[in-house]
Amino acid sequence: MPAAATTAAGVYVYGVVRAEELPAISADGVAGTSVQLLEHDGLAAVVSKLPPGELRVKRRDLHRHLQVLEEAFSETTIVPCPFGTVLASEADVEDALLVQRHAELLAALRRLDGRVQLNVKAVYDEEELLRELVSANPELRRLRAAAGYHEQLRLGELVAALVSERREADSAELVNELLRVADDVVLEPVGEYVALKASFLVPRKRLERFDARLEKLARAEQPLLQFEVIGPVPPTVFAGE
Amino acid sequence: MAIATRGTSSNYLQRAPSPSGLADVLDVILDKGLVIDAYVRVSVIGIELVTIDARIVVASVDTYLRFAEAVNRLDLAQTEAAGIDELRDGGSSAKRKSEGAVEGAKEKIPGLKSDKERSR
Repeated sequence: MPAAATTAAGVYVYGVVRAEELPAISADGVAGTSVQLLEHDGLAAVVSKLPPGELRVKRRDLHRHLQVLEEAFSETTIVPCPFGTVLASEADVEDALLVQRHAELLAALRRLDGRVQLNVKAVYDEEELLRELVSANPELRRLRAAAGYHEQLRLGELVAALVSERREADSAELVNELLRVADDVVLEPVGEYVALKASFLVPRKRLERFDARLEKLARAEQPLLQFEVIGPVPPTVFAGE
Repeated sequence: MAIATRGTSSNYLQRAPSPSGLADVLDVILDKGLVIDAYVRVSVIGIELVTIDARIVVASVDTYLRFAEAVNRLDLAQTEAAGIDELRDGGSSAKRKSEGAVEGAKEKIPGLKSDKERSR
């Protein structure tokens, strides 16, 4: 899909690692550029020099950004930057990032050392969920039998409230269970039939335990909930404060 | 990496070592990470964001009617048989409970804003 995006020539930043922990990046950078390391005082920014003129960002560039992060992450700890972070020059990368944010970056690197991010999603089976709600709630059955517009509206309102109540309860329970193994969690807003969408920060040495706990939860919740886990991915969600 | 190599063993837990679909890639890299002040941001316009998961439940007539329709579609042969006793009791406690939940949901809506919605 074409993407209209423009910038003057600049320096694209993928993230920051400790200097000398990462020999080189072989993956292609955004816009097919090569990836370089810009070192300063024990830190190294993972960057690409963008060609001058208009830059057209394509869908492939999203994958390239991720691949660079993943390659670095497979070698060492990285503090990732969001997709599309471009600074005017190498001097700016040094000033605005490696010098001014030096202490914060070192702290972030320590916080992320030996840890990975796992993105977990739990989605309701619509029919199972509604069936459970209706069977537990006589008012829903009464309204279901009524044909009038206002009864239907009231029925839908009641279902929406019950779904939301159920989601909050399930989400809290799942997060609680998984935080017994994970160090941290960031929740994302969810759609109607999604019980939980969250990123967990998990120490590598506890990956097996996290997976076992997730497997246990998923087995206990079927057929009501389908689970999905993506990762380990670089800890993008936990890179900021 | 244990999770990456184990693969999917069950249909109730799908495992993927790395995001592959556009929505999952965006979940990981868009608006996530260390933000640098005074930077130039490349905007990604024209990329069709898959935002189904990020849709926020908005309390509206349309939503309610959609829920009502979904409930009406259910074949409740077994469910109804099980619930007759409760039905006789009137179900007023359930109604009170859910009214509280509606208020709760409404209060939360203004604060919810998805990263994806913002970046569109």
